[in-house]
Amino acid sequence: MISIRKLQKSFGPLKVLNGIDLDVEPGQVVTVLGPSGSGKSTLIRCINGLELFSGGSITVDGHDVATPAGLKAARKASATVFQMFNLYPHMSVLRNITLAPVNVLRVPKPRAEDKARELLGLVGLADLADAYPQRLSGGQRQRVGICRALAMEPRYLLLDEITSALDPEMTSEVLEILARLAESGTTMIFVTHEVEFARRISDRIVFLENGDLVVDLPVDAFFAPDTATRLPRVRQFLSKMAKD
Amino acid sequence: MRYAEFTPYDLVLLAQGLGVTVGLFLVTSLLGILIGVALAVTHYYRVFLVHHLFTAIFELLKNSPVLVQLFLVFFGIPAFFQINLTPVWAAVITLSLNTAAFSYVIFKSGIESVDREQIESARVFGHSRAQILRLVIGPQAAAFSIGPLVGLLVNQLQVTSLISVIGVFDLTKIGAILNLRTLQPFIVWTVIGVLYYLCAKALTLIGNRIERRLRASVAWVGF
Repeated sequence: MISIRKLQKSFGPLKVLNGIDLDVEPGQVVTVLGPSGSGKSTLIRCINGLELFSGGSITVDGHDVATPAGLKAARKASATVFQMFNLYPHMSVLRNITLAPVNVLRVPKPRAEDKARELLGLVGLADLADAYPQRLSGGQRQRVGICRALAMEPRYLLLDEITSALDPEMTSEVLEILARLAESGTTMIFVTHEVEFARRISDRIVFLENGDLVVDLPVDAFFAPDTATRLPRVRQFLSKMAKD
Repeated sequence: MRYAEFTPYDLVLLAQGLGVTVGLFLVTSLLGILIGVALAVTHYYRVFLVHHLFTAIFELLKNSPVLVQLFLVFFGIPAFFQINLTPVWAAVITLSLNTAAFSYVIFKSGIESVDREQIESARVFGHSRAQILRLVIGPQAAAFSIGPLVGLLVNQLQVTSLISVIGVFDLTKIGAILNLRTLQPFIVWTVIGVLYYLCAKALTLIGNRIERRLRASVAWVGF
């Protein structure tokens, strides 16, 4: 379980997160919605240790990410897919995927490569294993990004606006894979602007605004009409997203 | 005194001079690159004491003439510290440090040229700092650095000619000797110049091949 308690984060005088509480149970898909600048990505970056937070605590399966040993364990339990893919440009697709399993988890190379090819097959990229990322389209790169994360066999998948840099067609090829993962019971924290898709795959929706977690509801309750009436800010956000 | 004609033995002299020049160039380049890489790595690990000390020394090396540095090392240091320094040692010390100073800057910017995002993703996947340097930053920094490095080395090859002034029998010194003996400056300095040119060209060709290998991932693949 990922447990976040009273999480605070500021960049200098700017407060980005003011005391977030969030629990993610294994098997759940939790989508984080909210306007740009509400702290969604920062939340993910605190969980995977890319940002040091100023207050509160985060534990991943009981490992406190604020301690070096805890962070190491937490990073083994989770894997992140990034908005800008962040693949290693000097390595083939296959090596991008096997790098961490081989060097961090110490999986024997042949086994890691078999696993990587299997994952590439699942996302329809089996024949691009030896290509360099530069040759790939954005959607293909992000599918490799997902394979790279899955190769770590993470208990938690952290997805940080992974379709924001893609055009609609590529977005749907990536989302389709996520839908399959969600069905197979992968635990995910999914930061996104794809409201309709979130509705399809999520168990819970949390809504962030100005660094506060203002809504945390099961998906049906979140999209129920009375929620929108009760929470004008959510209504505004949803109708704006629907227009886009 | 009668000025002598060229003799077949002059070819041996030229070969010797060429050997000394190329040998010293290779040794000082290797040492210089090793020191440059080592310091770029201390910069990456933020070992600031070592780092500041060497940046200060390198500032002096980069902003003063190599000939002056050579005189300081060959005449100044032995006089001050009461030690003996052969011309070859003085040349090795001066040129190595000089190459180190310039190559350090190249390697440092090579390391800094790697995207922060890639490093972040490597961190998130649990790679150690040393692994990130070796697997992610190193190869890309090398691909970035090789072009400027070859340019630097071609220049440093020409700079080795300065060591003839303190009495190292390199190619230029042999040229000076042959010139004095034959009084045929046009022929002698043309031959010497062509030999330097060929060495520099060979160096560039080797550099280009290495660069192509290092940059395999960004090679244009066509449609």
